[in-house]
Amino acid sequence: MTLDQVFKGNSISEVLELLNQYKEDAKIIAGGTDIIIGLRNGKITPKVLIDISKIDELRQIQVEENKIIIGSATTYTQIVENELFDTNLYGFKKACRLVGSPQIRNKGTIGGNIANASPAADSIPPLIALGAELNISSLRGNRKLLLEDYFNEKEDNRLRADELLMSIEFEIPKKNQVLGFSKLGLRKALAISRVTLSSLIGIDDDVNIENIRVASGSIGKYPMREREVEEALIGKRFNSEILKIAASSLQSSMDKRLVGRSTYPYKRRAVVTLFEEVYKDNLSYFNEVTL
Amino acid sequence: MFIQLVINGINYKVDIDPNMRLIDLLRDKLGLVGTKEGCGEGECGACTVIMDGESVNSCMVMAFQADGSNITTIEGLEENGELHPIQKAYMEEGSVQCGFCIPGMIMSTKALLDKHPNPNREEIREGISGNLCRCTGYNKAINAAERAIEILKEGAKNEA
Repeated sequence: MTLDQVFKGNSISEVLELLNQYKEDAKIIAGGTDIIIGLRNGKITPKVLIDISKIDELRQIQVEENKIIIGSATTYTQIVENELFDTNLYGFKKACRLVGSPQIRNKGTIGGNIANASPAADSIPPLIALGAELNISSLRGNRKLLLEDYFNEKEDNRLRADELLMSIEFEIPKKNQVLGFSKLGLRKALAISRVTLSSLIGIDDDVNIENIRVASGSIGKYPMREREVEEALIGKRFNSEILKIAASSLQSSMDKRLVGRSTYPYKRRAVVTLFEEVYKDNLSYFNEVTL
Repeated sequence: MFIQLVINGINYKVDIDPNMRLIDLLRDKLGLVGTKEGCGEGECGACTVIMDGESVNSCMVMAFQADGSNITTIEGLEENGELHPIQKAYMEEGSVQCGFCIPGMIMSTKALLDKHPNPNREEIREGISGNLCRCTGYNKAINAAERAIEILKEGAKNEA
């Protein structure tokens, strides 16, 4: 490791000052579950480390009007133990429960999953499906960014050296909406996902799909919206008929994106089953809730 | 730089290097070698300790981040020369072969039982899912956790 100096951040303003002072030489650490590996194998070589894991404002889950705001240093365990995510947001909780192991969930943070931009980040597809936005701050000011725009080819939107990811926020889904999630890993715990899929589906009084957002993880370079399947399903009646339509449009997206990769045939098959599982989750919620 | 922390009930003020991890502090600086380093990547759980009430991989925490925290390692479980009920249960159930994963396994079990004193088998499985064992397997570890729950209950009854 190459560290000369380490700081325990006591407040957001102190952290922003430090980032402004050290810029590229500094790295933020919260849970440490990704960054310590990077420090040890020499993939990252900062001179300064700034710990944000003890700043209360960054590690809380708040409800403001119709929004949930999650501080960037909130751990997976905090999310899993919060009953806000028990009903129609269960897909998010399910994704967070499948991250790593108890030890990793006790330390790993939602902000770290985003800032490190892993293609296999479990928590990201549900947040993209929710239309989540990032709140980013620096001494230069604040900016808001759609999470789905954070991940792109150009990397223009990524955090700059003097910026701190403050929180992630999204609108609380309405009673007629539900978030589903499904993951394919090679074992139950400590499994890096091979493919993940999440969808937010809202139905109207006639049980037609009124609004839909689908997002995937590990199918491509970063987590992303699956617009082709969204377009195919909008307005359709919510029943098992949609499974066929979803399968063919998801596979058509795979055909465009993954051809030539060794995992292509495997993932092309896997997305179909994952969508079926997400559908079952959604269905059981709609069956339980009287709209 | 100096940090202050409580380990196994004892107050420490120690001089650390900025590049040190918690496991380096525990093992190399303080000689608490019961905590093992396996993979060094947060996969195997051999280095599990309890930090402020939660199980963590001590290879995934920087030493300076532990400033002001309260840490329990495997060395801190014994009380008045007597083994902790979880340790006794591991011996009774024959849950230890090579032993390398056991300190971490026991700390995860303790973190689980501290939060949920009465977990079912599935919950125990989940509780130790961050600890890899390559020789004894997991069934004996789960049996030990169940036995530990019994011993803890008997202890509570005797005290009452």
